[in-house]
Amino acid sequence: MPDNGRKPETVALTIDGREVVVPKGTSLLQAAAGAGIEVPHYCYHPGLSAPAQCRVCLVEVEGAPKLQPSCVTVAQDGQVVRTDSDEALEMRKGVFEFYLVNHPLDCPICDMSGECKLQDYVFAEGREHGRAHEPKRVFGRDDFGGDVLYYGDRCVMCTRCVRFMEEVAGDPRLTVVERGSRAVIDTFFDQGLEGASFAGNVVDICPVGALVSKEFLHKARAWDLDHTPSVCAGCSQGCNVELHTRDNLVQRLKPRENQEVNGHWMCDYGRESYEWINRPGRLESPQAGRGSRRKPTDWRDVLGRLHARLQELRGAEVIVIGSPLWPNEGLAALDALAQAAGQVSRRVFRSPRAQDEDPLPGFPLLIRRRDLAPNVDGAGLLGFDRDGSDVGEGGLDGVAAHDGILLVLGDELRDQSEEFGASAALFVYLGTHDSPAAANADFVLPVTNFAEQEGTFVNAQGRVQRFQQALRPPGTARPAWLVLGALAAALAGNGPPPSRADGAFAALVAAHPAFAGLDYDVLGVAGAPLADAGAATAAAAGQRAP
Amino acid sequence: MSEAPFRNPGWAGNTGEFDLAEAEVRGDSYVGERPLDGGHPGASPSLPYMLVKKDPSAPLFEGPYQERLDKILDRYPTSRAALLPVLNMAQELRGHVSPGTMDEVASLLDLGRAYVRGVATFYTMYNKRPVGRFLVQVCTNISCNLCGADEVLAAFLDHTGTELGETSADGNFTVVEAECLAACGFPTCVQINSRYFEDVGADDVTAIIERLKAETGDARL
Repeated sequence: MPDNGRKPETVALTIDGREVVVPKGTSLLQAAAGAGIEVPHYCYHPGLSAPAQCRVCLVEVEGAPKLQPSCVTVAQDGQVVRTDSDEALEMRKGVFEFYLVNHPLDCPICDMSGECKLQDYVFAEGREHGRAHEPKRVFGRDDFGGDVLYYGDRCVMCTRCVRFMEEVAGDPRLTVVERGSRAVIDTFFDQGLEGASFAGNVVDICPVGALVSKEFLHKARAWDLDHTPSVCAGCSQGCNVELHTRDNLVQRLKPRENQEVNGHWMCDYGRESYEWINRPGRLESPQAGRGSRRKPTDWRDVLGRLHARLQELRGAEVIVIGSPLWPNEGLAALDALAQAAGQVSRRVFRSPRAQDEDPLPGFPLLIRRRDLAPNVDGAGLLGFDRDGSDVGEGGLDGVAAHDGILLVLGDELRDQSEEFGASAALFVYLGTHDSPAAANADFVLPVTNFAEQEGTFVNAQGRVQRFQQALRPPGTARPAWLVLGALAAALAGNGPPPSRADGAFAALVAAHPAFAGLDYDVLGVAGAPLADAGAATAAAAGQRAP
Repeated sequence: MSEAPFRNPGWAGNTGEFDLAEAEVRGDSYVGERPLDGGHPGASPSLPYMLVKKDPSAPLFEGPYQERLDKILDRYPTSRAALLPVLNMAQELRGHVSPGTMDEVASLLDLGRAYVRGVATFYTMYNKRPVGRFLVQVCTNISCNLCGADEVLAAFLDHTGTELGETSADGNFTVVEAECLAACGFPTCVQINSRYFEDVGADDVTAIIERLKAETGDARL
């Protein structure tokens, strides 16, 4: 279409007495949603086609002979729509009554209870009492394989899952089997969903408790979970997610819509790789002293002693080992401290890589990347080089015998021996868990993982994405940027260190031109591309080369 | 004065149409083109009785069936549209549509296996399990039920010695309930393979089985 400077065509209509202006081609349901009016819907999902088969989005359109399914009725200029007229409400009430004829109402033991659309809609619009006295049909449950469990009794036959597998996953394994009240969702006999790497999304899009996650089954009630906007740490795609937490533990991950990154979806690998965040046995207080002389202490003491030691060794050769599980702020502060302390000879990180990528055919932007860490590209931009093998081990040649300053953030050095860092003049280990290879560390500092702090990651598209704090840190663990920023500022003597995450990000933007022009507030929860995202990607690609 | 129960006068019973040879109905040339067992691609279970023994492991779409398949595929714009007649043909050959058959049809038409299963299970006229030589479908919907369909069904089960939905030990009969057979004016309606028996009462069942015996010349029934 030639761009002749005109605005996109719009239509003006009235929904429930409100004037609404929407782009041409918008459905009534979307137009109403834009005006803050939620029309009930099951089969319609913004990421899928709309078959208009569930009949719960019926609304009254002036002039139309009967109620219209709002999910497929296109808004017209001058249309007058009532979503809450007596006729529409009466009709929808009838539809919900039919849905309840065979729905088991086992809400007390149903995982979806609390976020179930049948519950919500019937509560809002349905009958107070059911009139069905006949026994309900019973199917039992069906293990679809993978992480998906199917309760046929609860199913409302919206076929979102069928359409997701066909249209988005490109793997049409699900179908409606049988007809009428005997209809259930199933695969081809014993085929199941095993091996379908995006199948977990069918649990998210199921409006009722028919498809539930085995992993989450009976683990927590929906109303007990806190939802925190975050970024998936499973790979460098950085899918926008919500961390659902309870009792200061991550209970599950749910995708959060971002059309630039992951649409409405996320992969099963990312969805299932969150247990490391909950790993117990955390470092809770700073410790100082090598080997048997190690003593727990407090931050004031440890920072004072560390600062003095860094002053003594000023100008020594510094080797920095970072981790792409840590946000940009922490890595930048690590780099800043290293530069203030002496001559930085190497900045490296180690990170596992998958054999191949796993794209989502129906949403090509979403790819489960090879790099199985969220901030590989951020680490690259901040000057860190990949080291070691595809399982995140090895490399570090000559580091074990390094005699200068050794700064380690986040890498647990699992493959290194207890002799690691024995000859270093100063060995500082910042991490979440103690490690045998940290036995020679002069200072062991407990830092928070990404879920316990705010910060940013750079994903494989060169997009800077913010995440928020979901969990309380254990003990006196602090964000790495706070600890390292304080030391770096004290060493360099250039003013007060940042005390909040936005300050840490501003310091990072000031020090690293690749991040120029970005503002922490503007990033919001949707993130923003780097000014030169192409260059960033190229740099990351060069950095990835073996 | 006791009156005989009302019976619809004209429509039930042997109207003679099945005494005609195929050639008399459709013409010689047509018969000459018909496939091996007389089935027609558009209405494959069209023979009144399953005169040809079904072989559940018969190869699909070989020889004349390949030709029929090609004709079917020519007729539709997409392979998806051809699914129903192709499943018909598979059932005509094998007597029922097994999971293996669905899989074969799916790969032949380049459709999802699950989708083919969904279609095959949606339609009750595809038998998902092997059925007997005579598939007896007794309508138990409203009109027929008011006129004694339950007794007719019980009589069929009794005479064939089988359970509802099961196949009799000799492999001759499968008796199932059917929803409306669109013959509400002539209850109870019973469909045996593709022929309708209308106005059937419980006491007619013996005669119907006798008739099947006579027409097929099979004394074992």
